[in-house]
Amino acid sequence: MEFWLHVLNWILLLATLGVSLNLLLGYAGLVSMAHGALFGVGAYAAALVARDLGVPFPLTVLVAVAVTTTAAALVTFPALRVHGEYLILLTLAFQMVIYGLMLSWTDLTAGRTGISGIPRPRVLGAALTTPAQFLPLIALAAAVAFAIGWRIGESPFGRVLKALRDDERATLAIGKSVLRYKVAVFAISGGLAGIASALFAHYQAFINPFSFTLDRSIFLVALVVLGGTANLLGTLVGAVLFVGLPEVLRFLEARQDIVDAVRNLIFGGLLVLFMRFRPEGLLPEHSRLGRRRVVVPAEPAGAAVVARAGSRGDGTPALVAQGLGKHFGGIRAAQDLSLALPRGRITALVGPNGAGKTTVFNLLTGFLPPESGRVSLAGRDITRLAPWRAVRAGLARSFQDVRLFERMTVLDNVMVAIPDQPGERLAALFFAPRRVARAERANRDKALRYLAFVGLAHRAGEVAGALSFGEQKLVALARLLATEAEVLLLDEPASGVDAHWVRRMLELIRQCAEAGRTVCLVEHNLEAVTAVADHAYFMEAGRIVAEGTPAALMADPRLAEIYFGKWRP
Amino acid sequence: MDLDLGLAAQLAVNGLIAGSLYALLGVSWGLVFATTRIFHFAHALTLTVAAYVAVLTAAAGLGLGLGFAAAALAGSLCGLAIELGVYRPLRRVQATQLNIFLASLGLLIAGESVLLILFGPEASTLPGFPLEGIVLGPVAFTTIEALWMGTAWALVGGLVLWLRLTRWGRAIRAVASNPELAQCVGVDRARVFLLVFAVGSGLVGIGGALLALRDTASPFMGVTPILAAFIAVFLGGIGSIPGAVVGGVVLGLAENMGGLVLPGHWQGVIAFVVLFAVLVVRPAGLLGIAPR
Repeated sequence: MEFWLHVLNWILLLATLGVSLNLLLGYAGLVSMAHGALFGVGAYAAALVARDLGVPFPLTVLVAVAVTTTAAALVTFPALRVHGEYLILLTLAFQMVIYGLMLSWTDLTAGRTGISGIPRPRVLGAALTTPAQFLPLIALAAAVAFAIGWRIGESPFGRVLKALRDDERATLAIGKSVLRYKVAVFAISGGLAGIASALFAHYQAFINPFSFTLDRSIFLVALVVLGGTANLLGTLVGAVLFVGLPEVLRFLEARQDIVDAVRNLIFGGLLVLFMRFRPEGLLPEHSRLGRRRVVVPAEPAGAAVVARAGSRGDGTPALVAQGLGKHFGGIRAAQDLSLALPRGRITALVGPNGAGKTTVFNLLTGFLPPESGRVSLAGRDITRLAPWRAVRAGLARSFQDVRLFERMTVLDNVMVAIPDQPGERLAALFFAPRRVARAERANRDKALRYLAFVGLAHRAGEVAGALSFGEQKLVALARLLATEAEVLLLDEPASGVDAHWVRRMLELIRQCAEAGRTVCLVEHNLEAVTAVADHAYFMEAGRIVAEGTPAALMADPRLAEIYFGKWRP
Repeated sequence: MDLDLGLAAQLAVNGLIAGSLYALLGVSWGLVFATTRIFHFAHALTLTVAAYVAVLTAAAGLGLGLGFAAAALAGSLCGLAIELGVYRPLRRVQATQLNIFLASLGLLIAGESVLLILFGPEASTLPGFPLEGIVLGPVAFTTIEALWMGTAWALVGGLVLWLRLTRWGRAIRAVASNPELAQCVGVDRARVFLLVFAVGSGLVGIGGALLALRDTASPFMGVTPILAAFIAVFLGGIGSIPGAVVGGVVLGLAENMGGLVLPGHWQGVIAFVVLFAVLVVRPAGLLGIAPR
């Protein structure tokens, strides 16, 4: 009995660590190969302050949380610039440095000998020693960690994390500070690991470096992945599997190292097979457990939702760029570019491939800092603003390659773009839950109206990656509108789809302009440009060489020659 | 002061010896990584399998030379099997980079366990090379370490020439620098992938045999040297073969020269501190251009 209670305690401790890692790996898509080390840092911190400084039990948990949060933030600092394989390597380096320190910094950690005599927690005057006595405490800690993890993961904050995971650039382009979310999620993950690590130190009363190896980190990653990324229940299942299976294997009555090898063989093999046949894990992110279906309101689709309060389509300039310049090595991508986008009108940017049209969008929105020149939005200088700040100021762009958040639902793709959601702030999430819930209901309705506007409300509950290309472009438009930006830059909205979708897209763009939004589009389809644009700029080799009505530009034989090449019979 | 200079010279030589192997391992992994963009953690498994094959061949009385050849062949076959059996099917279902990395990790864990079940946890030696000391002025090293350096530099040099001068070498460099464009001009990406797995894994196989020769072969021998290979590649800059060579040598020197100022047991930490510093200060690597 005692033995099985110990197993249960272990499951809960590992599940707590798993929740901490799942927030990073499953929700935010940030790999950490350093969770074993993080676990160790917290355990050593709690053990040392408890044994050597006499800090009493509940306080040791706080110390561990503070230390692991700081350690995780230390990883964050360089991790903000790096991702993908760099992050794997960076966290790997962190793991190895910490493990090396545990072994080598003998004055502090006693090296391989480890730290023994860690005081048992006293609750109501009695020291906890047996697994049965520890169980309520560990269960409580695990419950707290799950509650925090679930609250954060399944909130507007968690929605931004998922967006970040699916497409970092697109997350910037809907006006979210990627930096802030990365720092926050690393810190939260570190803090949750700290809870588990302090309890572990007290529970074992003895720790040494061999509990905090790279293998531990790898197994935590495997646990989270096999259980199900971005599904905390999956993490619990993973922990049961990872702790339970070796205990069952014990009955093989073979040598311990063979039992370990069989266990590793099974887990390693499962990891390979799952990646091939079920990458979402045992319990996938979009399981029906505990998730409501999207109920589509019966109200008709209208352009009303598109209109911004106070915006007038009066034709005065909403956005003005003057003298923008940029070069890459010897190539002048933009030279002395000046343009103005009148309010409530549709302006087009045309020109041959490689003329620098998308570069102009990048320069205007801050994705590329211009070397010279100035961009102002409604009189405000936005030249040096980060992309996400430019969106908040009212200038948003779409991408040629659409860039939806493919693993999120269509509804979440649009909802995540709505600005100023109370649920994106951690304090509000925990201390003003009613306000968060109210805002969430309102934003849900708003997002559904945007979807109804583009005619896709009935697909709201589907995963975005499963939609056709044409539908994805419409969802991208709905997402762009949801940013509530006044000026919309559309990069090839009508390309890559057939005539039916082109007509539908152009009609929607026209309605946006009529509702007072300012639109600028880059488009190769000249028919489409002529059909919707009021004014057009013609670009060639990084310069604007002509402007006028689309029809007038089209009629200019010189421009036609640049565009189509010289006619040689 | 004399003593310190002598120690410094000895540590520098030790650093070069370690650095030669790191350069070889770095180049073998960097070739695969730069071309396929797979974070091929299971490279450590290939190294271990090849080391065991060398040990078994030598134990069967076939001689050390044949042992090395068998290690190279076993490495290549192991790498090809991983590419064909795991990575290619994963690419076919459009697995993310992260998922491919996780599968690689799983493969390593499972493969090490199989080796442990087959051969037990004990270390096996690879005998057959005359071990003698060589003293050159203030520095001393062994014949095995001389063989390390000779083999490593010959292989690295050969690889660089092969990549520069041959048609297949150019195809590999084309895929590494721009996969889409390479495909447009008729380079068969799938075959280039097979080629880099065969070549890179063959090289790491010889690295495994060299390690078994100086130290021993054991089921978990692969991870530490492969971590050194990762560091060499990222220190030098991804996609740059000369970068990986420089990275390997710098790493070997840093680890050993660190002994001048730090006690010996800190050696394991130095490598990762160096990596951490480079990733923070200069993520593109010492010789690298900006990461894509």
